[in-house]
Amino acid sequence: MQDEIIRYENVGVSFGSKKVLSNFSLNIPKGKKILMKGKSGVGKSTLFKTLLGFEKISEGSLYYRGKLLNPQLSWQVRKEVAYVSQNTDLGEGPVKALLEEVHAYRPNRKKMDPEKLHMFMGELELEEDILEKNFENLSGGEKQRIGILIALLLGRDVFLLDEATSSLDSGLKKKVADNFLKHGDWTLVIISHDREWEREEVEIIEIGKTDPIEE
Amino acid sequence: MTSPDISIPSLMLCFFLLVIPLAISYRIKLHISWTTIDAVARMTVQLVLVGVFLTYVFDLNNGALNMAWVLGMVIIASYSTIRNIELKMEKLLLPVILSFIAANLSVLMYFNKFVLDLGNLLEARYLIPIGGMILGNSLKGNIVGMGVFYEDIRRNENRYIYNLSLGASMYEALMPYIRKCLRSALRPTLANIATTGIVFLPGMMTGQILEGASPMLAIKYQISIMIAIYVSTTMSTVFSILSTIHTTFDEYGLVKKEIYREKGKKKENKKRI
Ligand SMILES: Nc1ncnc2c1ncn2[C@@H]1O[C@H](COP(=O)(O)OP(=O)(O)OP(=O)(O)O)[C@@H](O)[C@H]1O
Ligand SMILES: [Mg+2]
Repeated sequence: MQDEIIRYENVGVSFGSKKVLSNFSLNIPKGKKILMKGKSGVGKSTLFKTLLGFEKISEGSLYYRGKLLNPQLSWQVRKEVAYVSQNTDLGEGPVKALLEEVHAYRPNRKKMDPEKLHMFMGELELEEDILEKNFENLSGGEKQRIGILIALLLGRDVFLLDEATSSLDSGLKKKVADNFLKHGDWTLVIISHDREWEREEVEIIEIGKTDPIEE
Repeated sequence: MTSPDISIPSLMLCFFLLVIPLAISYRIKLHISWTTIDAVARMTVQLVLVGVFLTYVFDLNNGALNMAWVLGMVIIASYSTIRNIELKMEKLLLPVILSFIAANLSVLMYFNKFVLDLGNLLEARYLIPIGGMILGNSLKGNIVGMGVFYEDIRRNENRYIYNLSLGASMYEALMPYIRKCLRSALRPTLANIATTGIVFLPGMMTGQILEGASPMLAIKYQISIMIAIYVSTTMSTVFSILSTIHTTFDEYGLVKKEIYREKGKKKENKKRI
């Protein structure tokens, strides 16, 4: 067995009587790049949330680094995996304060490297003055880029990117995809409808070929 | 004892004043006539009962009984805090009661011992009215603070979850909410402290002055009591939040949806099978 990071085994999730996923299996070894596609509402975001412990699976099993997911392990996942959420309501107040808050969390201390910050900001075409702006006033694409920026700053090597590039222009989409895909050792799980992620090294997975079953 | 007695007919004359708000309510269709009558009736009955009880309690002046009275007030205060913020009772009542007891009793005892220098800390004349003032005010702070906290967590759940996903511990992720809750809880008390004497003469001072106490004595009492109220509001709100977090959040750090009493808000937790 290769270095296995995430493994879904016949996973099903239900919200009340509504079943959104069933019998979903996927093995994600270290360094793998996976692009998940599927209709809106099939449960793509839910897959990420189960791994982070924000939604509970109702069938099957979910493993992280070979261990069955439980509450303690999901706290561990949150320290080791960088997640860019589809929802961009990430906070309020100056962007700078937001970044500082993130770096004040115990697992992220001492990781705020100004040099890296400026490098990533350059790659994401973010102007210096954005740090002083209030997050809630940023444009949709700017909020997304701050989400990506934070994920990059954490210095982790497993990424869950949920529609991380949907509001960016195609030039930027390509640039972001390039920047992520150039790291051979990064494990990337990408939910996106953007063509820019479709590369040779990226495996495409269709989620929920059959329609979700309603009882 | 210099205040003149209020005879029953004079009290009736005071009730007669209510004709004014009732007439206004009727004339411009405010629809609060019944609420007004109901509220005044409740107050009257409650106060008459309290008056009768207190007469006995003061006469007996039994330490244990006085304490029991204060504890009764604590339970009622905790109950109405939770009721007012539309959370479910079962799991929260005990932690809130314990928080109120820890915060208010310690401040109250400190006050009686070191500020008033009482021989008997459980003296009815001091314990009950001062306990009531401290409790009543920290009750208001708790309703605001806990309400803001649990409402905010629900409304901004996405931000909270995002912070957890970045590796924050539950306390780290909750800190912004705790800060905001404390600020909201303490702001009214602070505003009250800052305007005391200018905008209003507080009830206790009025009472003491009516009773013939010197204004200087009355203000010393007032200053001390305001400080006691501020301290107990801070302590009880912090204790309430910290002690309820253990029962209201699950092992994944998520707020349990079932603690909210649905009041026609979201339809998120429908019937569970
Ligand atoms: N907490 C929840 N309670 C009830 N239903 C939920 C909950 N979370 C998600 N759902 C439902 O589960 C389904 C899957 O949601 P999910 O967000 O995973 O979809 P998605 O595949 O990411 O869709 P999109 O492409 O639009 O982002 C949706 O129908 C959604 O309404
Ligand atoms: Mg989604």
